[in-house]
Amino acid sequence: MSTQAALAGINADYAERYGFRDPEEYFLKAPKGLNHEVVEMISRLKQEPEWMRAFRHRALDIFYAKPMPQWGNTEMLSRIDFDDIHYYLRSTEKSGRTWEEVPENIKRTFDRLGIPEAERKFLAGVTAQYESEVVYHSVREELTAQGVIFTDMDSGLREHEELVRQYFATVIPPDDNKFAALNSAVWSGGSFIYVPPGVEVAIPLQAYFRINAENMGQFERTLIIADRGAKVHYIEGCTAPVYSTNSLHSAVVELVALPGARLRYTTIQNWANNIYNLVTKRAVAYEDAQVEWVDGNIGSKLTMKYPAILLKGERAHGEVLSIAFAGPGQHQDAGAKAIHLAPHTTSKITSKSISKDGGRASYRGLVKVRRGAHGCKTTVECDALLIGAGARSDTYPTMEIAEDDVRIEHEARVSKLGDEQMFYLMQRGLTEDQARLMIVNGFIEPFVKELPMEYAVELNRLIELEMEGSVG
Amino acid sequence: MASATKADATLAGVVSVEAVAALSAAARESEALRARRLEAVRLLEGMTLPHRARHLWRYTDPARFLPSADLTAPAPTEVTSQWRRDDEVVGVALVAGGVVQRVELAEEAREKGVTLANLHASPAEALAHLGTAVPADHGFIETLNTAAWRGGLLLHVPAGVRLDRPLRLRFAAPPAGSLALPRVLVLAGRHASCEVIEGHGGGGAGAQVLGVTEVLLEEGAEVRYSLVQKWEPGVLGHLTAYAHLGPRSRFTMATAVFGGALAKTDVGATLAGEGAESEIYGVTFGGETQHFDHHTEHRHLAGRTRSNLDTRVVVTDAAHSAYTGLIRIAPEAAGCEAYQENRNLLLSPHARAESIPELEISNEDVRCTHGATVAPLDPEQLFYLGSRGLPRNQAHRLIVFGFLGQTLARLPEATRERLEAMVAARLHGD
Repeated sequence: MSTQAALAGINADYAERYGFRDPEEYFLKAPKGLNHEVVEMISRLKQEPEWMRAFRHRALDIFYAKPMPQWGNTEMLSRIDFDDIHYYLRSTEKSGRTWEEVPENIKRTFDRLGIPEAERKFLAGVTAQYESEVVYHSVREELTAQGVIFTDMDSGLREHEELVRQYFATVIPPDDNKFAALNSAVWSGGSFIYVPPGVEVAIPLQAYFRINAENMGQFERTLIIADRGAKVHYIEGCTAPVYSTNSLHSAVVELVALPGARLRYTTIQNWANNIYNLVTKRAVAYEDAQVEWVDGNIGSKLTMKYPAILLKGERAHGEVLSIAFAGPGQHQDAGAKAIHLAPHTTSKITSKSISKDGGRASYRGLVKVRRGAHGCKTTVECDALLIGAGARSDTYPTMEIAEDDVRIEHEARVSKLGDEQMFYLMQRGLTEDQARLMIVNGFIEPFVKELPMEYAVELNRLIELEMEGSVG
Repeated sequence: MASATKADATLAGVVSVEAVAALSAAARESEALRARRLEAVRLLEGMTLPHRARHLWRYTDPARFLPSADLTAPAPTEVTSQWRRDDEVVGVALVAGGVVQRVELAEEAREKGVTLANLHASPAEALAHLGTAVPADHGFIETLNTAAWRGGLLLHVPAGVRLDRPLRLRFAAPPAGSLALPRVLVLAGRHASCEVIEGHGGGGAGAQVLGVTEVLLEEGAEVRYSLVQKWEPGVLGHLTAYAHLGPRSRFTMATAVFGGALAKTDVGATLAGEGAESEIYGVTFGGETQHFDHHTEHRHLAGRTRSNLDTRVVVTDAAHSAYTGLIRIAPEAAGCEAYQENRNLLLSPHARAESIPELEISNEDVRCTHGATVAPLDPEQLFYLGSRGLPRNQAHRLIVFGFLGQTLARLPEATRERLEAMVAARLHGD
């Protein structure tokens, strides 16, 4: 099958499967580098309202003014060349890469994960694709009937401007940090979800975001609002490796859980090992609301991501459950933040990390209790597993407590694969590799069981792949 | 406090080459020691105040430790009243007003070759060890101290000598408006064993103390070290105390921090030799508007080393405590075990506690855990004690002693009793 034929077939397939139709054809790729002209062009092309245009320009000024973070892996961060990145790309243009050029290990991973033929080419950046926009959405008819809005952020702004304006950047203002400012200036794509009061969305809403153009940054912006008593589960990302030659991914995700709402956000990122994944994620939970972040970090060169929950209303509850897998050359700097602003709020943070053969995983977290937020409870648990030479694990938790009537607990453990466990499993007839894999699977099991079935299966296969040929 | 926020305020000019040279000459120091001081002065020229974003200084403004008085000006002395006979110790020394006022060492120790002496006039072979446990560039306070320390003590316990009674090193903080820069160097030879109590007290409002203590343990040595701080209210102080451990040596540190308006400590150990073991226990009790900031660090550089750390903090009134702790395991340090625990008890709605227990592990063959808690008095415990007929304030006291007990038990008996009395007095009004 020629590339051309595959290409035609794939496009048809997507249109059919995801009901995506593109009314216009763009051939646009912003020149590399960032300035007010680029921002102006992005805003104009999207025909945005004046307030958004002004917002972007203001955010760019903040981006210029803010220094790079003075903490974390500053050595890796300093290697980002902001002038060598495309800040906007939206087109059906061909990437110009052929299947033959895709690295063997990526192809093998596709095989092992059982990724369908059509998706492989899409993931590998071989086929023509839409870049900075959300490519597929499936909003089922009953959702629309329930009044649920599920669309990409650009359409959300066009079609529900008032709603967007009410919440946009209220949870993460552009001056929050340098990368939030960058995203605010050049954002494109992402999801916009609104669930009306009392509505329970039965199926998890999913959207896939991809990077697949050379040196192209992806700056998606997601805003999810669960109105009073509403319930929604959103899933972003996928376990298949996303391949590109070099890129920066810097998203902003804002969640608003109004009183009594339940909101769960699940991500598994498996960016290729050359991508900087610098993401700001934060949720606000009002009275009796519940927010859960389920966060898996497998890929990327450097990930810096600390999903946060502001517990703003009484009895609000927040949970963060995360795993990180850092292989050779990778640094997973992930964590969680729980900010208790109201009485009787509770939070639970569970973090598991595996550092293998030179990989580095860091937990960086914050638990804060404001004076007056009495009766709060929070538990933080970090577990780290080290495998092979040169692996590194760090734990940087911070607890700031300004109220006496609270209960704060933090625990962390770091260990290697237990010799005793290995011995036990091997004398039961398992090979060394099988035994190791079984222990690792047991280690991440609390995370995996929170995933929908197909994701759990894919994640298990992926871990199996990552564990291959490890020398304990 | 306008200068406080200037994070990149340079430290050049805080102390001059001439003043340091004059200080050194007046103390009739060796050429080598003078050179070491002047090197630190030069180091300061390229330094700025640490950035507040660095967590070590997140909760305490480093500018508050900038000298408010001339570093090298002679400090006033008012000492003799503080001298006290002490029969339970084998040696005692008193430093006040930047001067070693008095040193006494029992005959039995002198016979064994133990030295307790003025550090200014110490032999070159002892002085060569300065900076081993706390290098001059450890931080700006340690650099300042290295350049301009005055009133230093040397304790040398030769190889094989075991002392069964403790030595007491007492430091009187200066009166209001002046500054002290004490320095201690403890050298424990191969298989030597000793116990040291370093006590800090006195001081006037706004007095500053920037002290550095180094403890060096050669192979198989054993040192039990207590650092007891009972400054008068109003003192601003920073005490740095680090041990450097040779193979199979054992170090036990107990810190007790009670006094001062602003008290920061930086305490730790470098486990540099195979099989070394370090334990650090800390208790802090604060009230009113006291501000405490403690940092602990265990650095495992060699294989099969063990460390254990337990710090307990009780704060009442509007007192504030910040704790940061770090365990670092080097890539080549296999088979290590490290434990770290920080517990905070808040006795009033306006008390605050921060805790950042950190781990940096670079060797896979490791067992490492840490834990931290912040909680009020347990209402269930109070209820239980109340139901047994205990008045509320007694129940409080019992719970607080229970909370601190394990750590207080690590201190020498006489010290422990005095500290328990202090805690009881503080709790009395409750």
